[in-house]
Amino acid sequence: MKEKLEEILRSGEEKITQAINTIELQDVKASLLGKMGSVTEILKEIPRLDASMRAEIGKAANKLKDHFTEMIDARREELSLKASEIPTDFDLTVPGLQPHGGALHPITQMCYDLNDTFRSMGFEIFEESDISSELYAFDNLNFPADHPARESMDTYWLAGYEDKRGGERLCLRPHLTGASVRYLQTHNPPCRFVYPGRAYRNESTDARHERAFYQYEALIIDREFTFSAGKVMIKSILSKIFGRDVPVRMRVGFFPFVEPGFEIDMGCLVCGGAGCSVCKHVGWIELMPGGTPHPNVLRAAGLDPNEYTGFYVNIGLDRLVMMRYEVSDVRLFRSADLRFLSQFK
Amino acid sequence: MKVSLNWIKDYVTIPPELELSRLVTDLTMATVEVEDATELASKYENMVVGTIVEILPHPNADKLKICMTDIGGGDIRKIVCGGINMATGMKVAVARPGAMVRWHGEGDLVAIGNAKVRGEESYGMICASSEIGLFDLFPYTDEATILDLSAFDAQAGTSLAQALGLDDIILEIDNKSLTNRPDLWGHYGIAREISALFDLPLSEFKPYPPPGVPSLGVELADTTRCFRYIGVKIEGLSIKPSPFEVQSRIWRVGMRPINAIVDITNYVMLATGQPLHAFDSDRVNGHITVRRAQESENFLMLNGIELSLCNEDLVIADDIEPIGLAGVKGGEKDSVLPDTQKVILEIANFEAIGIRRTSARYETRTEAASRNEKGIDPQRCDIALSLAMSMFAEMFDKMAVTGYSDNYPVPLERKKIDVSLDWLEKNLGKRIPDDEISRMLARLGFDVSIDGDAMRVVVPTWRSTGDVSIPNDIIEEVARMHGFDRFDATSITATFEGSINQPKIDIDRKLREYLATRCGMNEIYTYPWVLDAYMNAVLPDADSVLSISTPPSPDERYLRPSLIPNLCKAVSDNLRYYDEFKIFESAQVFSSRSFSAEYDKRESLPLQRRNVAGACVGGAESYGVLYREAKGILETLPRFTHIEPYSFDRIIKPAWADSVIWQNIVLDGTVIGSLGLLSKKASLDCGIKNSAVMLFELDIDALTPYPSRTNKFERLAEYPHTDYDISMLFDLNVRWEEIYNSIIGKKSPDDLLRHVSFVDEYRGRQVPAGKKSITIRLVIGSLKKTLTSDEIEGCANAIVKRLTKTLGADLRSTASPAQGREQEPNQASL
Repeated sequence: MKEKLEEILRSGEEKITQAINTIELQDVKASLLGKMGSVTEILKEIPRLDASMRAEIGKAANKLKDHFTEMIDARREELSLKASEIPTDFDLTVPGLQPHGGALHPITQMCYDLNDTFRSMGFEIFEESDISSELYAFDNLNFPADHPARESMDTYWLAGYEDKRGGERLCLRPHLTGASVRYLQTHNPPCRFVYPGRAYRNESTDARHERAFYQYEALIIDREFTFSAGKVMIKSILSKIFGRDVPVRMRVGFFPFVEPGFEIDMGCLVCGGAGCSVCKHVGWIELMPGGTPHPNVLRAAGLDPNEYTGFYVNIGLDRLVMMRYEVSDVRLFRSADLRFLSQFK
Repeated sequence: MKVSLNWIKDYVTIPPELELSRLVTDLTMATVEVEDATELASKYENMVVGTIVEILPHPNADKLKICMTDIGGGDIRKIVCGGINMATGMKVAVARPGAMVRWHGEGDLVAIGNAKVRGEESYGMICASSEIGLFDLFPYTDEATILDLSAFDAQAGTSLAQALGLDDIILEIDNKSLTNRPDLWGHYGIAREISALFDLPLSEFKPYPPPGVPSLGVELADTTRCFRYIGVKIEGLSIKPSPFEVQSRIWRVGMRPINAIVDITNYVMLATGQPLHAFDSDRVNGHITVRRAQESENFLMLNGIELSLCNEDLVIADDIEPIGLAGVKGGEKDSVLPDTQKVILEIANFEAIGIRRTSARYETRTEAASRNEKGIDPQRCDIALSLAMSMFAEMFDKMAVTGYSDNYPVPLERKKIDVSLDWLEKNLGKRIPDDEISRMLARLGFDVSIDGDAMRVVVPTWRSTGDVSIPNDIIEEVARMHGFDRFDATSITATFEGSINQPKIDIDRKLREYLATRCGMNEIYTYPWVLDAYMNAVLPDADSVLSISTPPSPDERYLRPSLIPNLCKAVSDNLRYYDEFKIFESAQVFSSRSFSAEYDKRESLPLQRRNVAGACVGGAESYGVLYREAKGILETLPRFTHIEPYSFDRIIKPAWADSVIWQNIVLDGTVIGSLGLLSKKASLDCGIKNSAVMLFELDIDALTPYPSRTNKFERLAEYPHTDYDISMLFDLNVRWEEIYNSIIGKKSPDDLLRHVSFVDEYRGRQVPAGKKSITIRLVIGSLKKTLTSDEIEGCANAIVKRLTKTLGADLRSTASPAQGREQEPNQASL
């Protein structure tokens, strides 16, 4: 009988400690102290026991009953403090309330990413107005007088000014490069700066061509600067944009305002350089032109080309953003379509 | 530009170990962008020469035949064919199962199967030239003509590509990357570049000795526009096809074979880059003169288009009229015709700009013009002459030269460039040994002499027309020959301080980030030009508006004087998909009101200001809420973007605004922006119905950024403050500004009233007609002690009394919602 009591004590304590809520605890209580409970059963048996043992067993059983009652009360209190007042069928799969739904334009976001990177490398940010003149768009930049880009095919000349010359022949700037001369005329070298902005060209539009586009140019002017240092700069920028190391190569390219001029390619991120349809199976994607400012450009900015050199890159943000998000149609950028714009948060 | 590798191999021997992929990569890295390299033979896989051994009728079709065809080594197959010209013993092109063909020369390429044709097995097909892309080489008139290859010396079973000599590789070169390299516009030029890059020998053309024949008497009337003119009169010719290999080469790089005479001129142009023209000399009246056209002089081009020329155009003329538009296109009258037997062959060099202008003026983009406008060296006429004369001699037994002249008054001189080797090293970032520099430049045709630090480079004639002219060009030549990837990367170290503080630049970013992230607006980009419809709807009387001379479309000529018109277009467009939204744009606006020259006194730029504009859009009845929303955005803006605050006033109504809901934004007495509801008329004109559009526009350039943050610390309240709401009835014309001013009255510093704020306005059934109920929240508390409820009531009651007395208000209810609340964060402290 004693062993039986000890067994009830051991298993009862275990059950009480292991009950994880009050309902379970109630069941445990019933199994121990209820009408059919194991302790109750013992107490019921006492009258039938040998008289010599009755007192001892009775005392022990009653002690056990008190012990369990105390323990269950304590456990109940413990459980009820832990328990939630919230109905257990509270639906946790209901979506959260979203904060304000605004967003910067994806090109603005790219522009700011670049600004942050270039500023961390000590570049100043410079801005020029959208309307410029032939003087800054072409004359200063070593565009020969007969360069086809000067003809209305490419540049939006302003009505009433299209037949004037130089500083009075106004246009929506066809590129940003003219801004570099403005900066250099008002700052002393050595210097390094970026000049983001919009540019416009008179072209027919399709999914890959726009009349308005966003460019980002960077220029370093110093007494010594080699194009291989420029390559380091480009790698730093790309790793910021794409969040990983991007292979870069420079190859020969021609632009009137640089000499030497480069086309700068980045390794295709889709195939890792192995060749795929995105990179036309060459493993490289043409990214931006760059080069050393042409001596005539430096002269236009009032600098002596024998003393100063530099490095220039022009990044087409529309294209870069298209690559970043795999946007299929460049015209979406200026559509003001919220179905498109609200995707970029 | 398409380049045939087999053709290149005429001029430079490409060793077998030089793999195609390396050739393509190195050319791309150092010279021009090779976009593609196509194996021509891959298009003719599974196509072989077959010999028809027997022709049987088709049991189920009258128009079809069964051709028993030997496809090599006596392997005779049954092929069903619908052609009209089959004959026993004829060699034909057999497309075996798996070959890609174009049915009847139309539609997409399809793979040939082993199929039954009208119940008869057919092993592939016997092809017409158009079905395998060879129509230009083998033209026919009846579409049921199959390709007859009997003239080719090829056994049955020979692959078609091999039989026709099509085992070639075609390089596609990006024309843009060639614009500054006139020397590369021909196979010989590309071969010369390959010979330099890979140090391979280049074959040379044997000079054509001037023949001892009478002069043609060509006159160069304008030597500033025509630098050289070679004329050769050739007799004993006839119109016949040129040899297949000549036709094939012309065809492989994208031109069409015509006849032997024309093919020679095209072949020589494709080989050397020098355009040629052949006039039928029987139709040339008298002598040739190269002169300016007269104003309105007529010229009938080879393609039948009649031009009215101007004095800027250069023409080739005979004694009567122009016979060619110099360097651009030949004339119809004197071109090579079916009965031509004598020609005057023209090999000439023209000034590039004039060619480009004439070509653009008449929108005549020809192969000749696209080469002549790049600036070709006149010496190239010599190799073109050499090649052309040897081809005439080869193709025409009875050929005789009966007239010749070479007018070349001022030979082109080779450019000389002096370069310091130290300077070169400084710019390259690497010292390349002198002899290596010499060798690399010599391979490109430069003559180099070095004396100490001084290097003199003499540029070859074919690079002397502007391409290579200054020392920087030599950096590029050395760098690309050395290999751009062989220069060690060096880091950039110098530090600059200009970027540390740029408040004028930062303000635009702060504004955009504030509007997007705090105000929940979406940023949009629009074009700088405005559709007339939106201009008229929004700014009907705008003055000093600039416009574009060649606008994207006739109704998009105006350049925006304000961001509002395009913003309204964006609103209108988005209302198709959304009922409620908020958008903004930050961009420049333009005006001819004033001009200035900030950077160069020769320049005169119009007024250009950066503006920001926004729209809050909702249902037609929501204008009240939208007004408070838009105004809240503007009121809070200076605080969050760290600029000097502005105020609101009514000075001048924007044209687009509703006559009641509008305000100006004013700084130092100047209007720098506006806020208002888009008027009903403007809304309808913009195609906006049943929506309220609250707009604002602000001149960012007029804002004054603080140099740093300007928040001030305010001690936290030691004693509890109580929120006390009162609702009172006012006449409809009483404005909040008056109520507010009346409440704060003559406040002393230790007064118990800490804050006053507007909670809401109610007009409706529980409010008598002509009245509105305004709920005002008072924050009451002392800086020195905890107030009793009597003291709080006393403060509130005094305010209620004052409002009753000054503004005739009636109290509706009071309530003290909570004790010790924090003040509304956006409410100005009293």
